[in-house]
Amino acid sequence: MKIKDGFVLREVAGQRIVVAVGKATQSFNGIIKLNESSALLWKKLEDGATEEELVGVLLGEYDVTEEEARKDVKTFVDNLTKAGLVK
Amino acid sequence: MPRYKIADVVFDAQLKYKYTEKLCKNYEYCGEEDAKLLISITDEDIGAEKVNALDYPDNYLESLALFRKLCAYILSNEDGIIFHSSAIMVDGKAYLFTAPSGTGKSTHTRLWRELLGDRAVMVNDDKPIIRLVDGKFYVYGTPWNGKHGLDTNCRAEVKAICKIYQAKENVIKKVSADQMILTLLDQTVRPKKSADMDKLLGLLDKMLTQLDLYTLGCNVSREAAELSYRTMTGRSDYED
Repeated sequence: MKIKDGFVLREVAGQRIVVAVGKATQSFNGIIKLNESSALLWKKLEDGATEEELVGVLLGEYDVTEEEARKDVKTFVDNLTKAGLVK
Repeated sequence: MPRYKIADVVFDAQLKYKYTEKLCKNYEYCGEEDAKLLISITDEDIGAEKVNALDYPDNYLESLALFRKLCAYILSNEDGIIFHSSAIMVDGKAYLFTAPSGTGKSTHTRLWRELLGDRAVMVNDDKPIIRLVDGKFYVYGTPWNGKHGLDTNCRAEVKAICKIYQAKENVIKKVSADQMILTLLDQTVRPKKSADMDKLLGLLDKMLTQLDLYTLGCNVSREAAELSYRTMTGRSDYED
């Protein structure tokens, strides 16, 4: 799974936001705010990653159980899929 | 070919319609400065505007296309953005009220004018340009001035941005940058090119850091204007 071309993560006033540029603006004109852990997952997905790898990232960086990590990754991935941001 | 100076940018414009020339009349420039660019509006540009405003006549769409091209140039080259707001200047400092159309931006700045009389000058009632010049943000009047036709060909240093919403009781709060970022992004035009997007986000980052930010819930009353004026300027020097 990978973030589609044209969606970029930027930091403005200490906040992490995702906006569309280039051709992606034709299908998406919203703005997405990401928290710290979501931004970490996003960066992994820019290069491409499986859900298993994302779970591993959360387990490595945060004090969470595997069950919690799995649930968070699933929610995040579902949201990205619904918004059409991943391929 | 007419020459204009808008937001301190001198440019020539190749136009087809008198409507646009008439609209920009107060911004005609006859000074010494050379034009930084030529903006030509083609039938293609007018066609592109129809995507957003299908039912409008071509002369009006030409004026929108001119504004779009000017703002694109200013974002790329002059550290400036369009900011959908009603901008009012008092004692040399500007206060920007922003909100989705129909909320009451213009109404609130009208209340300021009623409160403050000649001390309050409308910079622009709908689509001013904001530029970062030598580390400070300035708001500039533009001919795209909203349905009441209120603008002045001037610039003023911006002190504060206030997002307004309708409320029964007047309430104002100073807010932090993270609470205003989506508002600012919604009230400007987001460019398509990645490099321009980074310029826009860089400017918004500085605006959010440097300017005072407020949210104001307000009704249509003198008290609403008194509250926002007192809070945003720190003064209560209006007549009873």
